Amino acid sequence: MSQRIVIDPITRIEGHLRIEAEIKNGKVAEAYSAGTMVRLLEEILKGRDPRDAWAYVGRVCGVCTTVHSLASVRSVEDALDIVIPPNAEMVRNIMFAVQNMQDHVIHFYHLHALDWVDVVSALKADAKKTSEIAQSISNWPKSSPGYFSDLQKRLTKFVESGQLGIFANGYWGHPAYKLPAEVNLLAVAHYLEALEWQKEIAKVHTIFGGKNPHPNYLVGGMACAISIDDASGINAERLAYVHGLLKDAKTFVEQVYIPDLIAIASFYKDWGAIGGGLGNYLAYGDLPTNGYRDVSSYKFPAGAILNKEVTKILDVDMRNDSEIQEFISHSWYEYAGGDDAGLHPWKGETKINYTGPKPPYDFLNVEEKYSFLKTPRWKGNAMEVGPLARVLVGYGRGREDYKDVVDSTLKALDVPITALFSTLGRTAARGLEAKLMTNWALEFYDTLIANIKNGDTRMANMEKFKPESWPEKAQGVGHTEAPRGALGHWIVIEDQKIANYQLVVPSTWNASPRDKDGNPSAYESALKDTPIADEHKPVEILRTIHSFDPCLACAVHLYDEEGKHVSKVSVM
Amino acid sequence: MQQKVLILGVGNYLMGDEGVGVHLARLLSTELNDELIDVVDGGTGGFQLMDLFESYPTVILADATLDHHAPGTIRLIQPKFSADFPNAMSTHEIGLKDVIESLILLDKLPQIYLFVVSINKVQPLSIELSPEINMSLTELKHKMVGLAKSLVRTQQDVSYP
Repeated sequence: MSQRIVIDPITRIEGHLRIEAEIKNGKVAEAYSAGTMVRLLEEILKGRDPRDAWAYVGRVCGVCTTVHSLASVRSVEDALDIVIPPNAEMVRNIMFAVQNMQDHVIHFYHLHALDWVDVVSALKADAKKTSEIAQSISNWPKSSPGYFSDLQKRLTKFVESGQLGIFANGYWGHPAYKLPAEVNLLAVAHYLEALEWQKEIAKVHTIFGGKNPHPNYLVGGMACAISIDDASGINAERLAYVHGLLKDAKTFVEQVYIPDLIAIASFYKDWGAIGGGLGNYLAYGDLPTNGYRDVSSYKFPAGAILNKEVTKILDVDMRNDSEIQEFISHSWYEYAGGDDAGLHPWKGETKINYTGPKPPYDFLNVEEKYSFLKTPRWKGNAMEVGPLARVLVGYGRGREDYKDVVDSTLKALDVPITALFSTLGRTAARGLEAKLMTNWALEFYDTLIANIKNGDTRMANMEKFKPESWPEKAQGVGHTEAPRGALGHWIVIEDQKIANYQLVVPSTWNASPRDKDGNPSAYESALKDTPIADEHKPVEILRTIHSFDPCLACAVHLYDEEGKHVSKVSVM
Repeated sequence: MQQKVLILGVGNYLMGDEGVGVHLARLLSTELNDELIDVVDGGTGGFQLMDLFESYPTVILADATLDHHAPGTIRLIQPKFSADFPNAMSTHEIGLKDVIESLILLDKLPQIYLFVVSINKVQPLSIELSPEINMSLTELKHKMVGLAKSLVRTQQDVSYP
């Protein structure tokens, strides 16, 4: 006998994702991932001025606004052969680093931790013991018994009020929660502190981007002006403020995030063998330090890994039309040349053809088309993207900074390197990346300051800003690494206007449906064999799906019209 | 010192009527010139909006909602908990409701006045408002500015008796 579980939508993610899973003998036998709302962003961009595209794509979502804008300006610069000045590169890198670490911290504490941390259990904790644990794992100053007992009192009030979703919507008391009450209390304390911290670090975007959310970008550089002595612009005082925020970020990540990650992971080592999935990883790379086209200068190296062969990093060419292709065999679109074709994004098409059931429905017909996500493949392979892919590529490329953080963490947890290919590995990789990022952000800052002090204040290259200077036809690719994985924007410019624009976003790689040969993508593969203790409370599915940090807003352009949540179990 | 009032328009500018709050913020930031009233386009911001909410004692919000009222209906609500926010206010799971919950947890929730504009359905991507919603924009603007000015005056009376 098998059962089918439907979770729709998956909560605590950005966007609308539906998972259908068949359960046999207490494990997931097959899983299907569907984006059930439509995506049409590409269509709104056609015919527009390529220099404005960043502002539109930045509106697609509240989380990744900056990375979409970054990929967009890069695609135009790539098409038109525009090289941006070093200062603009550093400002972009600093903004990138800030978004990455802010997103990782929010993901860990506010979106993912509740899969591992039982908030309600924290009420029963001995605050003195929590204080002892806190002091044994970190020098973070907020660790007195009084601090934790005051917090406990506040928490009790919130839980009793019944008004707060975070305490109401959980599988509290589920046997899969393994943390002692004292560690749960510690995690909840840092849930609140992380809220305060993320608010501060976001100010860097307001300073360099002029506003937040949706900071300003510019084709050719950045729109901010830095001048040490100018009273009104980004002057020495503002820069020192940024410096302070970046130093605080390093302290927070090193003294709060990483110790918590290790402490929590040590109770869930079994998840180092669950949720691995494909074993294929892809990173486009990012954080150039000598120009976008010099891939060897990237802090985030680019590359692909097949079948977990970390020692063999393969090169990726985003311009080669036989490497990255999007398929729609199981997606609600149609291609002019037939639905079995695989199209490189420069030749991509976005024509909807919804053939799914009329809502409300019980199940999707997964033999046919069942998602609004397309299915991207690299040389025909399903690939996982995200922090784990990046960390493995960096490690495999032999980079010392990656080796240091990975090896020390494996040692602290006393687990083998194979534990990385898992749900736990994905969650750990995110923290390790944040740690690397805090150091890099400070390096970028120092480079920026040194450059300005040496008299180079150029922030934008406007030589080719005027459309009259452009060729009749040009095409470019703008790639970046969003917090949740490799992001690419492919643009075709004709007669000074956008002729085609295709986004292949991280969650399209990870959350897409099967391909024409029936091979699953990353989520579907990772869920296979996941043990399910109670099919009415499938917290195990949430753990693995959340470990990818799903963000469907840009992948499918969602809208949950009635705000309904379906979580049901049917015997097949 | 006189404290400012914030008018914050939120929504997804790419999704037709869902973006009515953003259209409003853009309109007011060119038309309104009052040193005690700040106008911000909050777009699809989630956690990024927290700092704004903490920086003002009073926030007047504008957003679209899908409910059973006629399109263009404007209602004013004063939510105290995130559950008081109407359904499907934003396209985001991680959205305003989470920001509100977080502010409550940190004990930093300002006084919130929320103007909701009923919309018919979310159009597939478009940056234009439908005629009904476009017509309601003027009324929304008057109501919000009227409230903002009366709040500023009240504060002034308190500050300078």
